[in-house]
Amino acid sequence: MIKALTKPLEEIREMIAPYSRVLTIGCGGCVSLCLAGGQKEARGLNIKLSASKAPRSDAIFDDITIERQCEQQFLAALDTRVGNYDALISLACGAGVQFLAERFPNTPVFPGVNTQFVGVTRDIGWYEERCKTCGDCVLGLTAGICPVTMCSKSLFNGPCGGPQDGHCEVDPDTPCAWIAIFERLQAQGRLESITAIHPARDWQNQIPGRILVEEYRTRYIEDGETS
Amino acid sequence: MYDQIVMAAYTFARGPMLWAAALILCVGVIYRIRELYCLTIRKEKQSLPATVSTTTPTQTPEERTLDRLARIQQSAFAVHPVMFFVSILFHACLFAAPLLALGHSLEVYRAWGITPPSLPEPLIDIMTATILVCGLFFLMRRLVLPRVQAISGIADYVLLGCVMAPFLTGFCAYHQWFDYTTVITLHLLAGNVLLIVLPFTKIGHMIFFFFVRLCISSEFGPARGSRDWKV
Amino acid sequence: MRPDTHHTEPLNMTSLQETLRHHKKRMSLNLKACAGCSLCAESCFLFELNDHDPCYMPSYKVLNSLGRLYRKRGRVTQTQLHDMADLVWHNCVLCGRCYCPFGINIPAMISLARQILREQNIAGVYPHSLGAPVEKEPP
Repeated sequence: MIKALTKPLEEIREMIAPYSRVLTIGCGGCVSLCLAGGQKEARGLNIKLSASKAPRSDAIFDDITIERQCEQQFLAALDTRVGNYDALISLACGAGVQFLAERFPNTPVFPGVNTQFVGVTRDIGWYEERCKTCGDCVLGLTAGICPVTMCSKSLFNGPCGGPQDGHCEVDPDTPCAWIAIFERLQAQGRLESITAIHPARDWQNQIPGRILVEEYRTRYIEDGETS
Repeated sequence: MYDQIVMAAYTFARGPMLWAAALILCVGVIYRIRELYCLTIRKEKQSLPATVSTTTPTQTPEERTLDRLARIQQSAFAVHPVMFFVSILFHACLFAAPLLALGHSLEVYRAWGITPPSLPEPLIDIMTATILVCGLFFLMRRLVLPRVQAISGIADYVLLGCVMAPFLTGFCAYHQWFDYTTVITLHLLAGNVLLIVLPFTKIGHMIFFFFVRLCISSEFGPARGSRDWKV
Repeated sequence: MRPDTHHTEPLNMTSLQETLRHHKKRMSLNLKACAGCSLCAESCFLFELNDHDPCYMPSYKVLNSLGRLYRKRGRVTQTQLHDMADLVWHNCVLCGRCYCPFGINIPAMISLARQILREQNIAGVYPHSLGAPVEKEPP
């Protein structure tokens, strides 16, 4: 899931400095699991802002947490409340913040977390990146080790010649992804996955991505059609 | 006839039943702890890599204070102060009163010649009364609050009764209400029943509580814990 | 919520009971430890969001899904399983942040309930408008 880190309190205070009625909106999705933006964090932020009476001593702070901020049906729960506030702090990931801002374009929306990556939970409070959402997954060829994410240089043709004792020359704490890929494929008897020639990638994830699940195409108007 | 039955019950409850109850309690508690232990696995502390690229920002002293305030305000005793206070008072008296009651200490002295510590009887009496009042609070809470009603069944009321019975009968015995022999026999029987059912019912939540809170790491609780549930 | 349908698909009772048996030791300890204190309620944001409806309390969700499966030793009907599905999928997002003063692992029990339901071909069904632009009420 998406992992995020809560922004420093001072940064949040600076963002909402001019506003007198601020609603903090938590998210019950990814940010809850990584302890960054769930109900506990939303309420905690609310308590901190109220207690410190900063930046404005007359400011009113409230909090609410909804299921997810990346779906309009859940954002709808806020429709009757947002009008009572002149600023919103969203603890959702960047996607949720933007969706919230889209639904309430007349109310300033500020992010309360820094979205970090798509990753896994190693243990409580310890998260590691595993996916850069490149849009062209080759994990089947690389024995489940991502060359985009786990190789510091995102190389696709094997190790760079820089590994020291099996570790990356860019980050000595990171095992060389390509050595790991080779060893795992060798153990599985599938080295042909990387000895075969594959077409070059087009790195399509450089433009804002959109997904359409094909069976739902008919619900929408195609480009050029009239409704 | 009635007196004979009561005396027979008294002798049984004070003798073989008490031994059996104590044995079942000890074996039961050890069994439960072992069960919990076997369901968990020792977790070796993982070494953090030297480069943790991003981490929660270092807090200023003001932020640390605010963080502590936020944690306190969201903790169980801030959200449910009455329940928390009553629960602490109840559990403290629940353990202290039977262990330090003079009447119980005298029985131990008569049986084995040793003198365990005890508290003055009026104090034990106050503690017992406190337990009874707390028990009444728990009962009313279960009957009145919709959120507690929603998860309550017959077993919850029966077990509350099991816990209250020894203290109610002990209170009556101390104040010599009703027929003393009958009341003290009921006190013995109720106490034995409580000891027997403790490890095998939800009254044993205390065993679970100490083991899990001390040994298993989680987001909550002060103990870091060195064990985790086996998957 | 889904429309009420008459559920006639047969249950795979053997598989259900086998799964219950496999996890019995740990789950029955967790279930037994629940003193019904309801202190877990406020830790669930859905309980807070739904006007403190007891059906959203973590203890309620667990006791009426996995708890019911264990109490009945797996002898449940399709309709009862579908009711449990609503509890563990609609009333819970498995965010894992529920608090229990005794340390009961609530998410693990919800997760197991979901696993058992999936094994019986019952999966979470979202309401009709997944992702659809819900029109905003005019101010």
